[in-house]
Amino acid sequence: MAHASRRLYIGIFVALAVLTVLEVGLIYLPGIARGPMVTALVGVAIVKASLVGLFFMHLRDETRALKLTVAVPLMTPGLYAVVLVAEAGWRLLP
Amino acid sequence: MSAFAAEHAGPTTTSWPRDAQFGTASSGKIGMWIFLVSDALSFAGLLLAYGILRGGATVWRHAGEPALGVNFTAGLTFLLICSSVTMVLGYAAALDGRRREAATWLALTALGGVLFLCGQYQEYFGIWSAGLTKEGLVLGGSAYASTFYVITSFHGAHVFSGVVFILVTLVRWLRGSASAAQVELLGLFWHFVDLIWILVFTFVYLLP
Repeated sequence: MAHASRRLYIGIFVALAVLTVLEVGLIYLPGIARGPMVTALVGVAIVKASLVGLFFMHLRDETRALKLTVAVPLMTPGLYAVVLVAEAGWRLLP
Repeated sequence: MSAFAAEHAGPTTTSWPRDAQFGTASSGKIGMWIFLVSDALSFAGLLLAYGILRGGATVWRHAGEPALGVNFTAGLTFLLICSSVTMVLGYAAALDGRRREAATWLALTALGGVLFLCGQYQEYFGIWSAGLTKEGLVLGGSAYASTFYVITSFHGAHVFSGVVFILVTLVRWLRGSASAAQVELLGLFWHFVDLIWILVFTFVYLLP
């Protein structure tokens, strides 16, 4: 496993802290519709989780086989969530 | 010396015979990743159930039930992020053979975990101010209350397990019987706890 520098770790830490402030600040901003708000919050959360997985857990340094072993099973609940949201959206259409 | 014995021989041994698919990842690391994936699917089940219940509810938070403390929990989130960076710095120090520095980072990580658990206790039951249970958020009282307590306490159990895991590894590290590879496995678990909290924080606390 490649040994990343301390500077990189600190950089990821700062990015995570800034993104946390951003997402908390987002919910206090007036005038944002629910749909875009949810999309933005979920997007920021996925970026933060990816940063932890790729850099702190060093997944980016692992082989393709190990990356796929981890990523593919985790896509299934995400896909299920997308299907549920799409189904609800379809059902609630006027 | 067998490959297994070589991996567990001592603090200086961190390599593993190269595999065509998994490179130099040890069997311990692959096993930890598979465990974490299965654990992530448990959380995914809880979060999907939460989403289905919330999406189908006409009223999610009933009258008399308190809102969740976003600002306080954002502080707990920042605390877990801090503990993640101390963990990864501890692993880097362990890999470089800086034993005392690694021990210090591990101890700070455990402290972060303990403070997080104290924060969760405050949130539930109150230490310096009233907790959610006294404010009317009771397990079983509504889907809002039950999903909140089940998801966050399941995560809290992981934090508790992580703190115990850190302390056991720290003692073994100080005695010279833990390797940098074992600190890496500990780190994988602890970062996973942080990663899951990032998602829980967004889905349970922040989504409007």
